[in-house]
Amino acid sequence: MTEFTNETLSIAVAEDGTIVVTGDIDMAGGPLLDAALSQRNDDKAVVIDLAGVPFIDSSGLRSLLDGARRARARNTEVVLRSVGPEVSRLLELTGAGGQFRIEPRRD
Amino acid sequence: MTEPSTTLPIDLRLPPDPAMSKVLRLAASGVGSLCGFTIREIEEIKLAVSEVLIALIEHGAGEPVDIRFLASMQEFQVHGSTTIGPEFDLDHPDLALCRVVLDGVCTEHHLDVDGSQVRIAAILRRPFPGA
Repeated sequence: MTEFTNETLSIAVAEDGTIVVTGDIDMAGGPLLDAALSQRNDDKAVVIDLAGVPFIDSSGLRSLLDGARRARARNTEVVLRSVGPEVSRLLELTGAGGQFRIEPRRD
Repeated sequence: MTEPSTTLPIDLRLPPDPAMSKVLRLAASGVGSLCGFTIREIEEIKLAVSEVLIALIEHGAGEPVDIRFLASMQEFQVHGSTTIGPEFDLDHPDLALCRVVLDGVCTEHHLDVDGSQVRIAAILRRPFPGA
């Protein structure tokens, strides 16, 4: 399992390729997510598990949007899995939800 | 609950480090809690202060960022300023995204350039637009 960590965010890449994000996706965490997403260069869907994300802001959203853009260039997509209320709120505010396939959290 | 004395300004000077975003959110959460805001309202405050700091750090000149909280039981204000960056552009797409978020969470917000300073204010007044 590949891992990326800094003071606000921890990212693990599971054996099936799912990117599991834990922590805040903000100005400090966004670059870490960029690094994890930039490792993907195949045509499989990029699944990002956001169950452990209690906060995201526009800088974090930019990282997700960049990942979606790169995925589209490879003829695939980004799947946001276990999306909680904080991520949903930002997607709703910005109208960015259509850039992803979204699987809500099953609480 | 009596009106807390937090209508007095709370001033912070932060290094232009992205890691300060979490520090600022924690400080804002504490002030918001002291003023009696709900958890949902505090989530909105955290998003607003984070967007303010993004605008100042990503579009500033890399110098310290000054933040002022003005909070009461009815409203939470965050005011920020720093030295303007050499390629500052009010129409930059990243700044536009910050403003879209602030449009959704704030009662009002302002972004101004004053000489060498960029100033931003975000005001959340009860009832909060999104909470």
